Amino acid sequence: MISIRGVCKKFGGRVAVDHLNLDVPRGQIFGMLGHNGAGKSTTIGMLLGQVYPDEGQLMIGGEDVFANRSKALGRVGAIFESPSFYDYLSGASNLRIFCEYSGPVDAKRMEEVVKLVGLEGRIHDRVRVYSHGMRQRLALAQALLPNPELLILDEPNDGLDPEGIHEMRNLIVKLNREWGLTILFSSHQLNEVQHLCTHLAVMREGELLFSGEWRQLGLDQAWIRLRVDRQAEAEKGLVGAGLVKSFSAEGHGMLGPDADVAKVAEWLVHGRFRIGAIAPIERDLEDVYLAMVRKEKDEG
Amino acid sequence: MFWNQLKNELLKMFARKRTYIGFGAFVAVEFIILALLQLPKAKKAFVELLTKNGYGFEEYYSGITMAMLMILFTIFLLGGLYLSLVSGDVVAKEVEEGTMRMVLARPISRLRLLVIKWLACVVYTFALILFIGVTSLLAGVIYRGGLGKLFIFAPQEGIFGLFDTGEALWRFGRGMFFLALVTQVVSTMGFMFSCFNMKPAAATILTLSVMFVDFVVRNMPYFQDIQKYFITYHTAGWVRTFHDIVPWWSIGESLVYLAALNLTFFIIGAMRFCTRDFKS
Repeated sequence: MISIRGVCKKFGGRVAVDHLNLDVPRGQIFGMLGHNGAGKSTTIGMLLGQVYPDEGQLMIGGEDVFANRSKALGRVGAIFESPSFYDYLSGASNLRIFCEYSGPVDAKRMEEVVKLVGLEGRIHDRVRVYSHGMRQRLALAQALLPNPELLILDEPNDGLDPEGIHEMRNLIVKLNREWGLTILFSSHQLNEVQHLCTHLAVMREGELLFSGEWRQLGLDQAWIRLRVDRQAEAEKGLVGAGLVKSFSAEGHGMLGPDADVAKVAEWLVHGRFRIGAIAPIERDLEDVYLAMVRKEKDEG
Repeated sequence: MFWNQLKNELLKMFARKRTYIGFGAFVAVEFIILALLQLPKAKKAFVELLTKNGYGFEEYYSGITMAMLMILFTIFLLGGLYLSLVSGDVVAKEVEEGTMRMVLARPISRLRLLVIKWLACVVYTFALILFIGVTSLLAGVIYRGGLGKLFIFAPQEGIFGLFDTGEALWRFGRGMFFLALVTQVVSTMGFMFSCFNMKPAAATILTLSVMFVDFVVRNMPYFQDIQKYFITYHTAGWVRTFHDIVPWWSIGESLVYLAALNLTFFIIGAMRFCTRDFKS
């Protein structure tokens, strides 16, 4: 669905995207992960023809975004973090205005989409009175109205409350499974991407660190945080016993294939270690980066 | 689709309160001018000008003359201000508010979008001038109790014109049409600056600055020989339709000059807009 080849972009002297190659197959929920400034939004901007690349080619559905904008973007809907609307107009007028840049708006389709995002009671209110969650739903409606095949979501959960995030997540899954939409989802929150996507790309300072399936990242591995009186001795012993594969400098250990927290605790008690803390941990984006950077170094 | 997109652009423009500031301000100014014309000193100057030339004061101190006076006094400053205010907003405001990114995520080409926005500016210019013409005329008629005969005095253009009611009304309507045509250059200049990476207010201020500097320099005695190179010389072309024998060649020359400027401004704005990066 999306093909990015050798794309570079600089703003002034700063490299925003550096020789990016990325493929997003049709029908996937594909996550783009990276800190603020990693190059995700610039990449999305280039995909939408809003930012001109210095080098490279971006294709959507086999059409070059810059050479054949109308065909390439004709099948795309997009949402940005904190979407902007004509606040002095109603939600319905906003939908009509945005969608008529793509083509004629069918009243029945509009009704269907407004119902899907749950704005049917408020669509004739001025957007000025909408909450952040409602604005985000309106943004989703305007993205869906032209019947896209690809939905690009740039940090769509920013500013949403937990309930809003949950609703948005369910809606994205529904759109992928029931409507068959390919979804490119950008976020700096690892757990969000982890919940939604089967495939992901990880970017850092404009470079693509990883692109592929989750399991290739080893994130499905269980990790523990360990604090005992004879830390170095315990770490060495646990690795030797095959219960932990390796320990990070912070005392985080990746569990072995058949190990769990109970088995590790049992081993420590048996070895008469005084346990300060032992708990399963979830890895965050920083850990993913560090693991990748380490992996690159090891491979280098 | 083009008409729907233009209609939507007009809806966006005319649903904004600030679009109407110009309309409201002109009505307010019309009343202020009418009130000031009541002052004995203002009336005296008018009486002297007419009677010294052998014409009756009451006959020509009429509704349509009042309307013409109001427009002549206000159009350069206020017209320029409100046209550049709206046209300076038309692109820059959308960029500032973030809606431009939403629009540019659509398959519409940037050039087509600009053509639509520029046409909306054209419609606004015509709407504002039509409004000024109609309300000035109404205010004048209410103030003097009828249309009457037209007296117009524009020394810089060499005009001292007196017209009967029918002729006056026709010339007034035609004058408003030409006024709308010539002031289009102010809107297009505001539009051009709006396409650059700047705040809407900056686009308005730049447009006004260019017009004022042009006006001031043009009126310096040193530059009398090169009058025809100044924008404000050509924007004053509409007043020349009130000459007894209308100098169509000179008016046509001004319209062509302004059309070329409009085209140049549009191309410069479009070139900048079409090559810009839009990021959050």
